[in-house]
Amino acid sequence: MTRMLHLLPVEAYTSQQWFDHEMRDIFSKTWRYAGFMEDISEPGQFITVQAGLNNIFIVMGRDRRLRAFHNICRHRGTQLIRAVGKTQKALTCPYHDWTYDLEGNLISVPEEHEEFGRIDKSCLGLKPAKVDIWKSMIFVHPDPDAPAITEWFGPVEPHIGPHVPEDLIEYEELNNSYEIKANWKVVVENYIDVYHLSHLHSNTLQMYDHKAAKYHWEGPHYVFWEPPVGAFLKDQESKLIAPRVIPKDMNGAWVPMLFPGIGLAGSEDGWNIFIIEPLGPELTRVSNRGRVSNRSGWEFSRQSMKSSMFWTKFGLSGKYEDHDAMSKDDPMVAGDFTGEDVYACEQQQKSLKSPYFETGPAAVGESPVIDHQKVVLKWLGDGK
Amino acid sequence: MTPRDFHPLTVLDTRNEIGGMAKTVMFDVPDALRNTFAWRAGQHLSFRFSVNGEEQRRSYSISSSPFSGDPLRITVKRVGGGVISNHINDNVQKGDVIDVMPPFGGFCLDPGATARRTHYFFGAGSGITPLFAMLSSVMAAEPNSFAHLAYGNTNEKSILLQDELSAIRGMNPDRLTIHHIFSKPGFWSSADYWRKGIIDKPAIEALIAENPPYAQDAQYYICGPGGMNLAVKTALISLDVPATRIHMESYGGVAELDSSVEGMAATAEITLGGSQHSINVAKGKTVLEAVKSAGLKPPFSCQSGVCGACRAKLTKGEIHMRARMALEDADIENGAILTCQSLPISRTLSLSYD
Repeated sequence: MTRMLHLLPVEAYTSQQWFDHEMRDIFSKTWRYAGFMEDISEPGQFITVQAGLNNIFIVMGRDRRLRAFHNICRHRGTQLIRAVGKTQKALTCPYHDWTYDLEGNLISVPEEHEEFGRIDKSCLGLKPAKVDIWKSMIFVHPDPDAPAITEWFGPVEPHIGPHVPEDLIEYEELNNSYEIKANWKVVVENYIDVYHLSHLHSNTLQMYDHKAAKYHWEGPHYVFWEPPVGAFLKDQESKLIAPRVIPKDMNGAWVPMLFPGIGLAGSEDGWNIFIIEPLGPELTRVSNRGRVSNRSGWEFSRQSMKSSMFWTKFGLSGKYEDHDAMSKDDPMVAGDFTGEDVYACEQQQKSLKSPYFETGPAAVGESPVIDHQKVVLKWLGDGK
Repeated sequence: MTPRDFHPLTVLDTRNEIGGMAKTVMFDVPDALRNTFAWRAGQHLSFRFSVNGEEQRRSYSISSSPFSGDPLRITVKRVGGGVISNHINDNVQKGDVIDVMPPFGGFCLDPGATARRTHYFFGAGSGITPLFAMLSSVMAAEPNSFAHLAYGNTNEKSILLQDELSAIRGMNPDRLTIHHIFSKPGFWSSADYWRKGIIDKPAIEALIAENPPYAQDAQYYICGPGGMNLAVKTALISLDVPATRIHMESYGGVAELDSSVEGMAATAEITLGGSQHSINVAKGKTVLEAVKSAGLKPPFSCQSGVCGACRAKLTKGEIHMRARMALEDADIENGAILTCQSLPISRTLSLSYD
């Protein structure tokens, strides 16, 4: 009998075949996060990003418009395109110096006449992809004719919180990235599991009232909100560690998981992203960045000093006491909720290969996990 | 095809603009002609008038959006000595019946409910009329898009549709910006404006730098008098805007920047490595090819106008550059050329690689 993790077979979390299928039918057919809009802020700057099976090149022209192309030189298909020249108006492949303009048109082939006789350059332009900016993030879609990004995220947009990330500035200390030895769906399921919040994070996220959480789906996208607990809400202005970024009547933690693997986490004093990128069947990269209020450093210092007494007393701490630690850096003792999640994900992944693996019933608070599995099945075709 | 016939339409109302120097004329389109007179933002109407017994025809852009609920209308500015523009301003009033041909024209912006674009509008004087129809269509019927208007006028007294522009900006503060450019701002005036001058390349660069496209499908629309259209288009192209994204009322073709000039046979004085050489450039050959054929060793690399290695300074004569990506406009003004892209267009040249 097939061993199952609720609706999906265990192989969905371990096999190369499932991974390949997801790369082809989910991650190559949806909008992929490529960075913050500040990452390409001047003409000539470019970045590349992997979108499922596609490597995509994004560059800004002097009209400050972004262009996106599949990073495949039309000569030998090499993934080498870069912007060069004093004014960076040309995209070139260093292998044989084939050169394209900013619209992707092939404009020069070295020794064209001697090496090729005649060549119809007009048929050998770079293949375009689609690029747009949404909520201060650059996104690409491998299909140049994909519907507008607002069609994809539009229905969920009214539910993801009042934050205006374009008005906030990046807080670079929040920029980090790490690998988790688990399938990407394990990481997503951990992010959207409401049941675990009061347990795994009993001493790290207790400033929010998990019992009052509200969550639902908008198409393939998951939305989640929960209010602050009374102790955190009372006189909250003196308890926020950074200047407030949302109106008081919209207080709370806004933590949607957009499809596929695009986590957002907004609170009273910040807005963060949690991008989940599958690297292999059992390896996933998570990239975090965040934004805060565009205020002076002095205002941040004041807010931080003002709030420190509350947080000392409120007591963020490890799930277990020091004397229960299994090792010097036991994540169950460290008091960092991300460490707790990574640990849980990796321990979950490890168990999947046991011949004795079996799951019990899913809790009400785990219904988002089941629903995410349904979304995955739908994108892969129900025949999977 | 809409038949090109005139239909008598009744004037619903009129409104004087800019102190009587212009007039908006609104038309009552009867139900039977509703489809015939359905219009797209940016199109114009042709009119037939009889003035002093003579038939006169004129076309005016429609100055309202088909999506905003406003009536079909035109806004006509007086032209010095203009027979029809002054006739309309002096005489046309509510209840008049005027012969009008159904809307036509390909300078259009069709809003899309799901489209997500950034529209840049460049207008001057009465060129605002089709642009106003377009930008109000975007605000009324393209909710995910953004619009930025640069509008040139003599001063604040000649801004057509100013109240309507202010109102629509007030209703869409997050999606619309309006930038007034005055060529002769009144010295004592307290009117607010963005820049002094005209809509030239520095103004266009500033507009885009201050309002970079947020939605990445950017489109550009130009409507102005005289040489403004071509000047704005040339400036946009020099800022990497592809011609396919630039829309304007067509007043004849636009010269391709890299059009295939054949060049001509020429003699060239070359300074290279401190010595002088006189060489012949055969018709159709680039300066670089000729210098190489003459047995000299000039610097060069990519031969596609990208790297700038073959750059030289032209001191006499004229050349045509097929491509010039390695050069900024300021370099070219100072005589810089890319010899790999340069075809002579005068009989004698002097240039130096040193």
